Amino acid sequence: MKTYLIDDDTLSTYLTEQLLRAEGFSNTINTFDSAQQALQQLVEDKDKAAPQVVFLDLNMPAMNGWEFLDALAPYEGELLGHCHIYILTSSLALADLEKSKSYDLVSGLIHKPIDTEEIRAIQSQFEEKGAAE
Amino acid sequence: MSLSPPEAPVPDSPFTQSAEAAFVLDVAGQLRQVTAGLAELLGQPAAALVGKSLAGFLPLTEQQQLAAGLHRAATGEVVSIEVAVNEQPGAHCLSLLPLPGGGELYGLLRAAPSVSAANALLLERERHLSVIFDNIADVTFVLRAETDGQFQFVFVNRAFETTTGLPAAQVVGRLVSEIIPEPALSEVLEYYRTALRTRQPVAWQETSDYPTGRKTGEVRVTPVLEADGTCCQLVGIVHDLTPQKESEIRLQVSNERFHYALKATTDAIYDWNIAADTLYWGEGFEELFGHKLTENPTPFSTWANYVEPTEHDRVVAGLRYTAFETSNLFWQQEYHFSRSDGSWAMVFDRGYILRDAQGRATRMIGAMQDITARKEAENQQHLLAEKLGRQNADLQQFTYIVSHNLRAPLANALGYADLLSRVEKTSEVFDESLKNLRTSLHLLDGVLTDINGILSIRDQQGSYRPEPVALAEVCRQALHSLVHQLQECGGELRCVIPEELRVPGSRAYFHSIFHNLISNAIKYRSDARVLQIAIEATGSSGGPVRIVVEDNGSGFDQEKVGGDIFQLYRRFHPDKPGRGIGLFLVKSHVESMHGRISVQSQLGVGTQFTLLF
Repeated sequence: MKTYLIDDDTLSTYLTEQLLRAEGFSNTINTFDSAQQALQQLVEDKDKAAPQVVFLDLNMPAMNGWEFLDALAPYEGELLGHCHIYILTSSLALADLEKSKSYDLVSGLIHKPIDTEEIRAIQSQFEEKGAAE
Repeated sequence: MSLSPPEAPVPDSPFTQSAEAAFVLDVAGQLRQVTAGLAELLGQPAAALVGKSLAGFLPLTEQQQLAAGLHRAATGEVVSIEVAVNEQPGAHCLSLLPLPGGGELYGLLRAAPSVSAANALLLERERHLSVIFDNIADVTFVLRAETDGQFQFVFVNRAFETTTGLPAAQVVGRLVSEIIPEPALSEVLEYYRTALRTRQPVAWQETSDYPTGRKTGEVRVTPVLEADGTCCQLVGIVHDLTPQKESEIRLQVSNERFHYALKATTDAIYDWNIAADTLYWGEGFEELFGHKLTENPTPFSTWANYVEPTEHDRVVAGLRYTAFETSNLFWQQEYHFSRSDGSWAMVFDRGYILRDAQGRATRMIGAMQDITARKEAENQQHLLAEKLGRQNADLQQFTYIVSHNLRAPLANALGYADLLSRVEKTSEVFDESLKNLRTSLHLLDGVLTDINGILSIRDQQGSYRPEPVALAEVCRQALHSLVHQLQECGGELRCVIPEELRVPGSRAYFHSIFHNLISNAIKYRSDARVLQIAIEATGSSGGPVRIVVEDNGSGFDQEKVGGDIFQLYRRFHPDKPGRGIGLFLVKSHVESMHGRISVQSQLGVGTQFTLLF
């Protein structure tokens, strides 16, 4: 499963990457410490090599998670169904959870740190989907 | 007329044809000439009457009276007697006039007005009088003076009844002493007797209690004089003054109340006489505004000239418009009014406009209230509310930011602790994770230290005691710890602060402000040019002071960042290390010393901070 990890906090990125690897979640993990870089790469990859899963941090300088999602709006039709975005944030604010529901591209919101159960839950969703297809 | 013929009429003259029952007779009573009217009255032809005795046509009972009348007429007297005529109903009036020359008399018989007709006339007249009396609003009564000095009511009109509440039937025929209570009784009896004695009208005012309440009236009694000069009746008329008296008392009471209200109020009460265009002022005017009134009333312009000039249109012109162009009964405005010491009082003015039947304003009564203190308190409260609102918003923001920044390293620490238990202790990932766990905990500690520092600034705000801080010296000290960094990057710093300039505040806060601003300028310098920092302070120790810190660094996009630049943990340079607390602290320090800070920046040109104290 091709995965993007977007977070300016390098400690958090390293941690999430190791946890995903430990669960055998993904064979290719691309990490980005800037949402702008990730956006550029995603637009390039969207036709042939779009990631199936994106873990997106919210609190980032220059371009935050919400701005990233807004910038993706023009490509929503092409990405919907192929690319699943999970917000991964240290914030516990309910307002963020509410806001995340207004984006169709967002499949879920996970509080940091991501744990084994959450990783497995996402995995199983993709297995079901793969089986259904 | 046929009543006064100068000579004896001749036969077949107009006399004999007259319809009047007239005749000529001798002193013995024998008819000599008769008219057609007499012939008709007596029912015999005129010719048959001549030579007959008049007495023959009268009943026997009347004949002696006729004889006496003839006798008196013969002696030259005009005689008029009432007689009955045979076969004729009712009484007749017989007039006898001596004719010149003597021996003959002229006579006339006319029907006397009947008694019932006379009675009817009298009754008619009485009815008219009664209607008049009963419709006179004034109490009217007639008293008869008794021989024992008492007075009896013989007539009262309807007004008497309605005013006193006593029905006429209960009054007429009774003595005054039975109707009028003491002490009024003795008084009125005295007036009645005076009128009786002097034969002159007497008038006085009296107040009596009746079933309908206390009555005040002006009484006038007029003696009725008989033909012989005696007097035994008084006509009294009472003009009821009760309504006037009551309104007089009410007016007096309300005047008194108004007088005390004037004393009690601190307002400037005025009375605008619109016809004269003058204002009469209550005591409050001089007290409130300090102007000595050399005249009272004053011209309208005296007031108008004290109204703040820019408010003239709204206030002075507005008042005149309301009075003259509308039918409004009330006018009110808030405006500034000059005091004698030159200061401005904030005034609330409200007046009631009196209008005549055509709606024209004739007078306005109003009060000016000094609301300066209230207005100031309102403003203070408004500012306080605004400040509290801002602080509350800041606190919410602060809580949100802190919780996020506290949780981020905490979440990492939790994640690494979990990961460490699952990887090989000898692996590279284990070592890396352990290092990262330690880093996360240090970051967590750093956030807690920040929070502590920020909260201590907030805590000290209440008990903070300002001291005069020498800016130039503090700036040098702050620079001291940064000189090494500045030299390393080849930057230059120019500092123009007068040595003697002192600003009330906290030395530590100013140190922190200069340190943060200079280190920011170094950190976010542009690689394209040599860093130039300029610090300049202007102003005087007692007055406002302006400090400008300017650099030619990389700057930032002000449109995008907006007001976020001073927010806690907001970072705009992902490529440069920093926690995003420096400017937040600068702003907190400036504001806790009651200063203001603003920023101007342009991407690729530089940044300028301006501080005002």
